[in-house]
Amino acid sequence: MADMSGQASGEDHKLRPFYCELNVLSRPDGSAIVTQGETAAIAGVYGPIEVKPNKIHIEKATVEGIYRPKSGLPCVSDRLCETTLQNTFEAAVLTSQYPRTLISISVQEMQDSGGLLACAINAGCLALMNSGLSMKFLVAAVHCMINKTGEVILDPDNKQLKDSCASLMFAFDNVDKNIVSSSTHGRFTEAQYQEALLRCRTASTEIFQLYRDMVKKYAPTMG
Amino acid sequence: MAAQYKTIHPVKYYRDFLAHDLRPDGRSPDKTRNVTVNVNSISTADGSSTVRIGNTTVICGIKAELGKPKPDEPECGFMVPNVELPPLCSPLFRPGPPSEEAQAMTCFVSQATSDMVDLKELCVSTDNLAWVLHIDMICLDYDGCVQDACLIALSAALRTVKLPKVEYDAETKLPSVSLDERADLHVKSSPVSTSFAVFDDEIILSDPTGEEENLSSAKLSVVTDGEVILSVHKPGGSALSETQLQDCISVAKDRANLVNELINVALSSVDR
Repeated sequence: MADMSGQASGEDHKLRPFYCELNVLSRPDGSAIVTQGETAAIAGVYGPIEVKPNKIHIEKATVEGIYRPKSGLPCVSDRLCETTLQNTFEAAVLTSQYPRTLISISVQEMQDSGGLLACAINAGCLALMNSGLSMKFLVAAVHCMINKTGEVILDPDNKQLKDSCASLMFAFDNVDKNIVSSSTHGRFTEAQYQEALLRCRTASTEIFQLYRDMVKKYAPTMG
Repeated sequence: MAAQYKTIHPVKYYRDFLAHDLRPDGRSPDKTRNVTVNVNSISTADGSSTVRIGNTTVICGIKAELGKPKPDEPECGFMVPNVELPPLCSPLFRPGPPSEEAQAMTCFVSQATSDMVDLKELCVSTDNLAWVLHIDMICLDYDGCVQDACLIALSAALRTVKLPKVEYDAETKLPSVSLDERADLHVKSSPVSTSFAVFDDEIILSDPTGEEENLSSAKLSVVTDGEVILSVHKPGGSALSETQLQDCISVAKDRANLVNELINVALSSVDR
C-alpha cells in the first residue's frame, strides 16, 4: 500500500492517517481502496456503459451511486447516504461529454469507525480519477464533530464520536474550494457550523495534495 | 405565446424572469410561498394534520399502537415516520414499492425529528409494553419542497396526539387501557425545514416549486429550531460558497419562526 500518511503540520488540523491504493479490482474501469484510520471503503466505477431506457438522458450521462453496507442489504437509512454519494459524483463528472450512457459508481463499506460517508466519497473520487472519465473538478470530503464542550474535532474515530453532540461532513471541490455536499447530524449553532466548515476546508487541501501525490505515483499506469 | 416558449425552452424562460429578479409565479428569489396548516383533519387517527405550501399538499396521520420494546432499549418506545409518494401526487412516481426519493425523504424526516419526543416517555412498562407511534405522511400534490411540508405536518400532528392511559398488569401480563383518560404528548422541540434550489449554479431560489426543482442544478435543505441548526443537508449538486450558505441559513431561521407561530395558531384555533 502506498504510504500517504496525512499527518498535518499543526495540532490544529490533524486527519487520521490516509492510505489509498488504485486499480485494486480488475473488472471495473476504475477502482480504489481508501482507509482513513480504521475506516475503510472500496469503490469501483463502470462507465460509460449502456443505460436502461427509463433512466436515459439525451443530453448527459446518468450517474448512479450504489452504496453497500458491510453486511446485509442496504436499508432505508442508507438511502440518504446513497443519494448524497450519487449527487456528489454527478456534480463532479463532466456528464455532458457522455450523453445517453450510464456511469455507475459502487462503494462497498469495509469497516466503519467514524466518517464512513467522507471515506466513501474520497474512495469514489479516486476511483473516478482512476477510470479516466472527464471530470469538472475533484471532490474531497472531510468529517468532523462537535464535542459536548463545543470544540470542533477533525476526523474523529468511533471512540471520540461517543461523546459528540453533533457530527458534520463536508465535501469540497478543488477549483474554488466551495461546498459540494454538506450532511449533518445533531444540534449545533451557526457559529459552530462556520467554524467546522472552515476547519474542514483547510483540511481538504491536505487530501487534495494526497490526490496529487497519487496521480504522480500512478501516472505511468493510469489510462 | 409564453406557454409555447416555456415548453420549448424552459431554462431560458426562467433566465428571462430571473434577470428581472422575479420568478414566473411573481415571487422574488428569496420569497417563500404561503403555508396553510390544518390540524385534526382525520378523526379516526390519534393525531393528524394537513399542510399546504403553495400547491404542495401533505396529509399526516399518527396511529398509536402498543408493542413490546426492543431488548437492547427496554425503556424506549418507538416513533416510526414514513413518507409516501403515491402515483397520484406526480407523474414521476409509479405504483409499487416506495421509490428511492420517498425512502430518502423518510430518512431525512426521521433524522430531523429524532429528538422531538423523549422515547422513554412512550414506555408503559420496562421491557414489556411501550407505545409505537406510526406516523404516516402522504403527499397528495407534489409541487416542490415536499420534505418541508412533511416536517411541518409531522410537527403539527404530533402536538395533537392524546395518548390514553395504560396500566400494565405484571402478573396477568395484560394491559388495561382507559380510553377516557387521555394525556398530551410532551413535544420537546419544533424543527422546521426550509429548502432551496440553485438555478444556473448561482441564483438561489427559496422554497422552489416542482418545476424549479426540476430545472435546478442543486438542492439543499436547512432544518432549524430557534437559534439551533439541526441539519444543513446539501446532497451534491453545484458548489456553493459559505456566504451563500449563510444567506440560506438566515432565511431558514426567519421562516422557522413564522411557521412555528402558524402551527401554534392552528393548534389553538381548534377545540381539542
